[in-house]
Amino acid sequence: MGLLFSHRFLALLKKEFAQIRRDRRLAMSLIVPPTLQLLLFSLVLNATVSDLKLGIIDDSHTPESRSLTSTLTESKSFKLAGYYFDVNQLGDAISRGDLDAGVVIPKGYAKDLRRGRPVTVQFLLNAMNANTAAIAQGYAEGVVASYNADLPDEGIHADFRQIAANDVSRKGQAQLTSAYLYNPGLVGSWFVVTGIFGLLLILNGSMVAAVAMVKEREVGTIEQLLMSPAGTYEIIVAKMAPLFFVLFLMVLFATALIKIAFDIPFHGDILVLFAGAALCVLSGIGLGTVIATFTHSAYQAQLTSFFVFPLLTTVSGAITPAEAIPRWLQPLVVINPIHHFSVIARSSMIKGSGFEAIWPNFMVLFVFTLIMVSASVWRFRKQLS
Amino acid sequence: MRRILAQTRKEITQILRDKMALGLVLFLPLMQLILMGSAISLDIENLPIAVQDLDDTAASRQFIDAFRASDTFYVVSYPIDRQPESAFTSNLARAALIIPKHFGRDIARGVPAPVQMLIDASDSNTAKLIAGYAGEITRAWNASNGNGEVAPVEAAMRFWYNPGRSSKKFYGPGIFVLALSIFPPLLATLATAKEGEQKTILQVYVSSISAHEYLLGKILTFMLVAFCDCLILMTLLFTYFGLNFAGDPTPFIVSMVLYAFCVAAFGTLIGCAIPNQAAAMQAVAMGGFLLVFMLSGLIFPIQNIPIQIRWLSNFIWGRYFIDIVRDAFLQGGGWPATWWKVIIIGVIGVCFYMLAWRNMRRMQVKA
Repeated sequence: MGLLFSHRFLALLKKEFAQIRRDRRLAMSLIVPPTLQLLLFSLVLNATVSDLKLGIIDDSHTPESRSLTSTLTESKSFKLAGYYFDVNQLGDAISRGDLDAGVVIPKGYAKDLRRGRPVTVQFLLNAMNANTAAIAQGYAEGVVASYNADLPDEGIHADFRQIAANDVSRKGQAQLTSAYLYNPGLVGSWFVVTGIFGLLLILNGSMVAAVAMVKEREVGTIEQLLMSPAGTYEIIVAKMAPLFFVLFLMVLFATALIKIAFDIPFHGDILVLFAGAALCVLSGIGLGTVIATFTHSAYQAQLTSFFVFPLLTTVSGAITPAEAIPRWLQPLVVINPIHHFSVIARSSMIKGSGFEAIWPNFMVLFVFTLIMVSASVWRFRKQLS
Repeated sequence: MRRILAQTRKEITQILRDKMALGLVLFLPLMQLILMGSAISLDIENLPIAVQDLDDTAASRQFIDAFRASDTFYVVSYPIDRQPESAFTSNLARAALIIPKHFGRDIARGVPAPVQMLIDASDSNTAKLIAGYAGEITRAWNASNGNGEVAPVEAAMRFWYNPGRSSKKFYGPGIFVLALSIFPPLLATLATAKEGEQKTILQVYVSSISAHEYLLGKILTFMLVAFCDCLILMTLLFTYFGLNFAGDPTPFIVSMVLYAFCVAAFGTLIGCAIPNQAAAMQAVAMGGFLLVFMLSGLIFPIQNIPIQIRWLSNFIWGRYFIDIVRDAFLQGGGWPATWWKVIIIGVIGVCFYMLAWRNMRRMQVKA
């Protein structure tokens, strides 16, 4: 450690900081695009399922059937898109995309209810999008359940109560009450924003680091650096320090933006978040440095990152839940820094987890950074010989 | 025509010589489709839930078994003396099922037995799915025990077009379009920008070839690349993703040709406009990847995009092709459902071509 703060190292550090300071474009490119990306991504990527377009076939034409359709459409989940007269018409509308779901209320609906016979209402869901279908099913069943519960105790429902009461051997029913913790309003953007945050740190960090490292080689000044008495470690660490500094400014900026634009709660200690962000930035820089040692020009570094980044993004759980990734890809999730930062950001900000709850994620980020930096030093040395 | 073909032959020779380009064409789209098609999914499986059984009777254990038996949940027993929230903050579980004392007694007596489900809603979509699945499991348990009253109205669900609700089948066609929107235009851009960078384009200017012939030669090459990709990826869709044509495949075939033209023209346009490989590549990454990835309804529905930026998606060529491919493989709506989308792809392609042509014409005069 004493070696790191030698005179030699400080000189290198000064040089790197001066270079960054003069490179206005780099500084700008570290602040402006990430901000825009954070805003745009988080606005655009939204999994909320609401206002599903519902088509109705009402063969019953009775007050009872109308009360069911109004219960269905007065919720925010479904929106009445039109009445249809036969199933083929309804099917065509679903296939054209005019409707997301359809309900068929049978002819004898009211009669059966009045007689105390259970009646089945058919829901047709466009299941092409599996997620929308699963959530729509949950909505529909919830609405029907609450409709059943709200059926007036006199009249229709009374028949059912009576039939049921006659059965002595009847057992009780489990009643499940769900409560949503931490995000009772179910705001979709909180999940995406925290994921995109990690994505930006890693992607921007590694891109900038790769370009900065490669630049020295492109211009040909790398020989001069290598000729200097500084060791490989010193050269690389000195290169990283100013990048880290600038990127951390981006972290502060992005955090403020998240707070202002998306109104995410900050339940946890902000220092935990910043510590995670710092490690995340470092692992991004480390990744970029490794990419740089494999390439000879900014163009090649870009081409390489073009293929590494989508892969990293997909198996990170930043945009889609990590639990949904199949088991054979889970090893990639475990070593993915984006995943660990997303977990840290979500736990700390939304759930208020302390360091003691999420230290394993910190450990992985730390080990990842260490491996990346060592690998880049090793590759760097190898290129010398 | 002969000149166009000669140009195409030259381009193909160049691609075949370049190992990296070959890898770009053959290997990467395949990898992308497998990885992204498998990894992108919102449907959860084996989600850890903490269970606190304060009752510990036969009935409560039976109820927990119903959760254990589902594919969605993975039951983690949790000591009853600890707050369930601590399982959430340390990410051990996504939900907690708490069965209070007297659950078994209430069931036996025939009175409603309340059960609490706490859900970590930091991921709101997953939270909704958890609530839905847990409700279904409870209803099924109640019904199978023959207890409880008969519900007056029962909802029967029919899932059309994708009855297994498989995410893979929904995202596979989208990623297929994404791959076609990235790799062929990327290659086209690199090939065209390279000529500008290395100034070999001057030789084209002094030759007798016209701007139309030059562009068509290039575009034809990268259309062939796109077809090649298409064949490889379709094989994967048919095998690994288990998809098949749901109806009339002709809209798909026609729009595939148009889309190949569209993306090849886009790549060539960028390559002509930006004679620098690194910068041009970034532009294609921006257009091909980001726009198609975000604004075309690939992962999340377009209706969820805020209205202020939603209009942008009307100009995104990938959006229409994604709709067509999904229709071809899942819905089978055929021409009546998709004809106008096919036309739009053609129109956007022609726009790209005209822009590229204008660009080339100007440059030829300048040089």
